Amino acid sequence: MRAVRSGPGLEEGRDQDLDRLLGLVARGDQDAFEAVYDRLAGPVYGLIRKVVRDQAQSEEVTQEALLEVWRTASRFDPGRGSAATWVMTIAHRRAVDRVRSAAAAAERELRTAQPLVTDDTVAETATANLEAERVRRCLGGLTELQRESITLAYYGGYTYPEVAGLLHTALGTVKTRIRDGLIRMRDCMGVNW
Amino acid sequence: MRFSRHDLHTLTGVYALDAVDGSERDLFEHHLRRCRPCGNEVRSLAETATGLAMAAALPPPPRVKERVLAACAVTRQLPPAIDRPSRPVRWAPRQALRRSWTPRLAAAVAVVSLAVAVALGAVGLRTRQELDSARAQDQAIAAVLAAPDARIMSRATTDGGTATVVVSRVEGKVVFTTAGLPRLPASKVYELWLMGPPKIRRAGLLPSPAAGRTAPVLASGLVAGDSVGVTVEPAGGTSRPTTAPIVVMALRV
Repeated sequence: MRAVRSGPGLEEGRDQDLDRLLGLVARGDQDAFEAVYDRLAGPVYGLIRKVVRDQAQSEEVTQEALLEVWRTASRFDPGRGSAATWVMTIAHRRAVDRVRSAAAAAERELRTAQPLVTDDTVAETATANLEAERVRRCLGGLTELQRESITLAYYGGYTYPEVAGLLHTALGTVKTRIRDGLIRMRDCMGVNW
Repeated sequence: MRFSRHDLHTLTGVYALDAVDGSERDLFEHHLRRCRPCGNEVRSLAETATGLAMAAALPPPPRVKERVLAACAVTRQLPPAIDRPSRPVRWAPRQALRRSWTPRLAAAVAVVSLAVAVALGAVGLRTRQELDSARAQDQAIAAVLAAPDARIMSRATTDGGTATVVVSRVEGKVVFTTAGLPRLPASKVYELWLMGPPKIRRAGLLPSPAAGRTAPVLASGLVAGDSVGVTVEPAGGTSRPTTAPIVVMALRV
């Protein structure tokens, strides 16, 4: 296993301001919550839309996720990750909860007679946004199997056994490709955590 | 299923993407508590995944912001988790509602500021009997909110309001409340239904809104596949829905 870099001064790119805002939210500051909303509602909604697809349901899940951020802000621990990641973890969890029940999965299949999520879905949303540009570039540096596995799991909301089924690939292979791919992304994106 | 230590280590990636479920997830979480390098790796990979979310940003419609801010104004926040020796908390039915809001219970609870003081304050009860029955109702509601598996869900209603439920599969009960529903003429009422695959059951009438919200209504006897729904019916209610529901929520119990 690779050593993970850590230590003071290495958290460049981390939005300290967001950490501070979330601390205020935990104390019931609604203005701070609105500021957090303004920063993160876009990524939260965009991520949920990718997983859930249906617009009305995505709005509902977005509301649930952001309300959970409000409600549980006191449980955010800056020592365990950034505020943005804490929020995105909640959002992704809510989104997969919505699509992973058997009934929901059947519904989703009916509703989305579309091709599976692939890397071009990143390209389409990667606007002039620098972060998006960087992510796209880093995704482009992965092998096809790594990239497909990661996007199906994260944007598609599939479990890794489902990803393995979709890609007709062995379970263990998908598991390690996702890990290898993410480590490569991490190093490419300069994530220091 | 058995997993070797090596297998567990390699789950960091799929765990960071929330792509592992069930017993494998439980096992890995157990392992994580002991494996510091795994924890560090999961954190760095979760930060990486956040980059993927940022790249997918899409502005939500303005109504989402309105609803979220309105909901947060009436939603009680969890107190911080405090490290101290845990002791089991049992629901004590004779205790006043306020006693149930100890941090440990509240931690397990998904709480809209609903239950608190609810019927007691808002509805203007007069007799001792009414007070007792309201208190019993509050305690039943608090038990649902305090259930370890309590889960909160919200949906927009077709008439511009928001319905919120807290559901517990263990208790077999759901607490239902609303905000922003239009006031109805005296000849009409909002009626709550449990809608299961086999049949639709009455689940009570919503009290008239006070300060834009309806006091929580408790419905029991949930069965697998139930949804809750609300229709507008003639005053007094009906035995089966006669209008299109203003909201339906699958409870996933």
